[in-house]
Amino acid sequence: MLERLSLRVRFLLFFGLIAAAIPAVIAVSLYLAALRMEDDPTPQLVLFGGVASFALVGIVGWVAQQFDTHVAQPIVAVARDLQTRMHANPGNDLQQDEARYLGILGPTIREASDAMRTLRENVDAKVEAATQSLDRQRLRLETVLRDLNEGVIVCNLDHQVLLYNRQALKSLYFSGDLGLGRSIFTVVNRPPFLNTLERLTNRFTSGRYKSHPDYLHAPFVFSTPDGRHVLQGKMSLVVDEDKDEAQSYVLTFSDATKSMSTLAERDGILGTVVEDFRRPLAALRMGAELLSDTKPVAEDVRAKLEDIIVEESKILSDRLEEVTRRYQAIATSAWPMSDINSANLLSVLARRYREHPVLRCDVSGEAQWLHCDSNTIIELMDRLVRHVLEETGAQVFSVEAAVGKTRRYLDIIWSGDPIRDSTLCGWLEEEIEHGAGRMTGNEILRHHGCDAWCEQMPDGRVRLRLPMPDPVAEHSAQTSGAPPVRLEFYDFDLLQRGAPTGDLAQRRLRDLTYVVFDTETTGLEPSNGDEMISIAGVRIVNGRVLTGESFDRLINPGRSIPKSSTLVHHISEDMVADQPPVEEILPRFRDYVGDAVLVAHNAAFDLRFIELKQDRTGVRLDNPVLDTVLLSAIVHDHTDQHTLDAVAERFSIEIPEETRHTALGDSLATAYVFLKMVDLLEANGISTLGEALAASEKLVQIRRAQSRY
Amino acid sequence: MEKQRDAASILIADDEKNICFAMQFLLEGQGYDVTCVEDGAQAIDALQSSQPQLLLLDLTMPKLNGYEVCQAARADPRLGAMRILIVSAQCKDVAVEKAMAMGADGYLKKPFSSADVISAVGTLLNGSPSEGQH
Repeated sequence: MLERLSLRVRFLLFFGLIAAAIPAVIAVSLYLAALRMEDDPTPQLVLFGGVASFALVGIVGWVAQQFDTHVAQPIVAVARDLQTRMHANPGNDLQQDEARYLGILGPTIREASDAMRTLRENVDAKVEAATQSLDRQRLRLETVLRDLNEGVIVCNLDHQVLLYNRQALKSLYFSGDLGLGRSIFTVVNRPPFLNTLERLTNRFTSGRYKSHPDYLHAPFVFSTPDGRHVLQGKMSLVVDEDKDEAQSYVLTFSDATKSMSTLAERDGILGTVVEDFRRPLAALRMGAELLSDTKPVAEDVRAKLEDIIVEESKILSDRLEEVTRRYQAIATSAWPMSDINSANLLSVLARRYREHPVLRCDVSGEAQWLHCDSNTIIELMDRLVRHVLEETGAQVFSVEAAVGKTRRYLDIIWSGDPIRDSTLCGWLEEEIEHGAGRMTGNEILRHHGCDAWCEQMPDGRVRLRLPMPDPVAEHSAQTSGAPPVRLEFYDFDLLQRGAPTGDLAQRRLRDLTYVVFDTETTGLEPSNGDEMISIAGVRIVNGRVLTGESFDRLINPGRSIPKSSTLVHHISEDMVADQPPVEEILPRFRDYVGDAVLVAHNAAFDLRFIELKQDRTGVRLDNPVLDTVLLSAIVHDHTDQHTLDAVAERFSIEIPEETRHTALGDSLATAYVFLKMVDLLEANGISTLGEALAASEKLVQIRRAQSRY
Repeated sequence: MEKQRDAASILIADDEKNICFAMQFLLEGQGYDVTCVEDGAQAIDALQSSQPQLLLLDLTMPKLNGYEVCQAARADPRLGAMRILIVSAQCKDVAVEKAMAMGADGYLKKPFSSADVISAVGTLLNGSPSEGQH
């Protein structure tokens, strides 16, 4: 019973006991003394006893207060500091002032803690050295995976994603949130997976795989849940042969939507040419032959035959037009091309002439995105520039990308004579070495579906113009939406973790999946019309913050943003003018959160904004919520400083100035703070979600009670 | 139909003889003064000796292609007033754009109807399709 009370309460009880004992001892002593006295000494003894008791209790009270201030409180503070140092922040300094009345306890603890810190640093250094080589190998593997042209996803047998690469993310991002620890079925249709996995598992358990030509692989076609994108790939079962059991499966795939629809369209065109051209051709041929026949035909028959020829020729022309239109729509080259920024491409070209004795070339104009094979295009442009120099004597060139009414161009510009088309055609017939073989300029142009020509510019200069295909993806000049440099694409620890079982409250804090989130708002009073203007979240899976799977959106609040609030979060009215409203963003946020536990710093504030929008957005977040303000008050009860900055400083977590007070920046800081807190909570005997929620709730009740007084 | 005294002169440069014959027949029937040549080099020669008001030009021809003829014609100040109509089986948008960039005034994709030719010629010579028809 006593052990459950805090140290300070126990000391208080101890002094309380002494204070209670003093009047009792004095009363008994005086009573015994009175029995031996002859006259009635009661009034004097009561006075004496009362004064003595009062004085002694006062002294005990004073001693208790001094003891609490100089001994009990410092012991608690030193213990907390030590705990923080051991579990969360090895650099945390012990408070020397607080411990000055504790005699050698303070220095001893400091020595012990320093010794432990040194020991830990030694161990850490050894671990670091041992893991560095492993990291290097891992990095190589990551690079290979990241740059693969095929999508790769690894799942455990519960279909939770353990790994995915960039290409997989690119192919599937539109169908949902692909994320570590999430079910693969949030982004793909279920039946083809289950069927293929069952086939492979049967092949494995029956032992047939040993003699099967495909071993434990199976090709299959699947689609996104909405069926709009078709993907084809291969599933491979990963097995532990020692345990004789399947562990996971690997999926490699590519988006087949376009190639399959192109193939179908090509088939259709071929069918049209083979069959639909026969009928008008047959009529045309017969009509023409009859007319040219030597036998005379009646005038009305001749007129009819001529009508047939005119009519069928028109039908044939129309069909040819239709086939041409359809063919041009799908005519693509199989040559690998990618989107590239012209600034990168042209600066590579211009750099080639730095050492050239006469030729000068600079990059002009605005950078544009193009879709091309940069390697062959650079070689072709280089060849053309050198030819123009020889042909015209022009020595100063500009190269630039331009956007016309219908397409984009790469231009080589000079002042001087234009190039004759036959000369240009001759240059384009030459073979060019491009690193992966040789091909002519015409072949390179054909791969890009384009041509080249020389034309006079309005300013009198001349340009050699290469039309280029438009970029496939949408590219923005802004970099804020760019993915983080380092993405977390895999977590094989999920392989060890079974499917979530039992009551969520019973599960360990470090095993749970969290979404740590934050909002930025127009002000602090949601019930008085303040609105959200930004919401962000990051996921924590298996104790790792997945910065690559963050959610970060601006919201159009449908009202003005006070300048005072813009000063805090730097979000202006212009920035949100084109953004979607809260009705569009919150459902996406709910999908992002899924069944994760929510974490926020001062969660009640952010949740209040979401709750007030429930009628309009239909979004109700029933997930368990942990508040890092409350958790901080639990693990650092010796202080009342629980702002995000103060908590982060205690854990030595740096929040970059430029991201502080951005929803994503604060979410990230809160996530790192939360991870440190989980260690400290465990040290305080709080290791399950249920325990953390109960401790938070208790603290809320205490604060409520305190606020009444 | 009889040729008018002030009939506009047209030069057709196309290596497909049947098309050449048909177009000549068609346009002469419309009252134009039509001459035919069968390759790019002949076209350049013809342009040296006469200055037609309209050149009907195929792109794919032996000796010199249509782009080259177009470029040469545009470089000759004596032919400044001559209009150039490309008649070609090359149907890609980029071919049309290249021809226009090199000085062509119009582009007819093969196959075309007689009415298409009459209309395009009339537009280039007189500014409107109807005025071109005699």
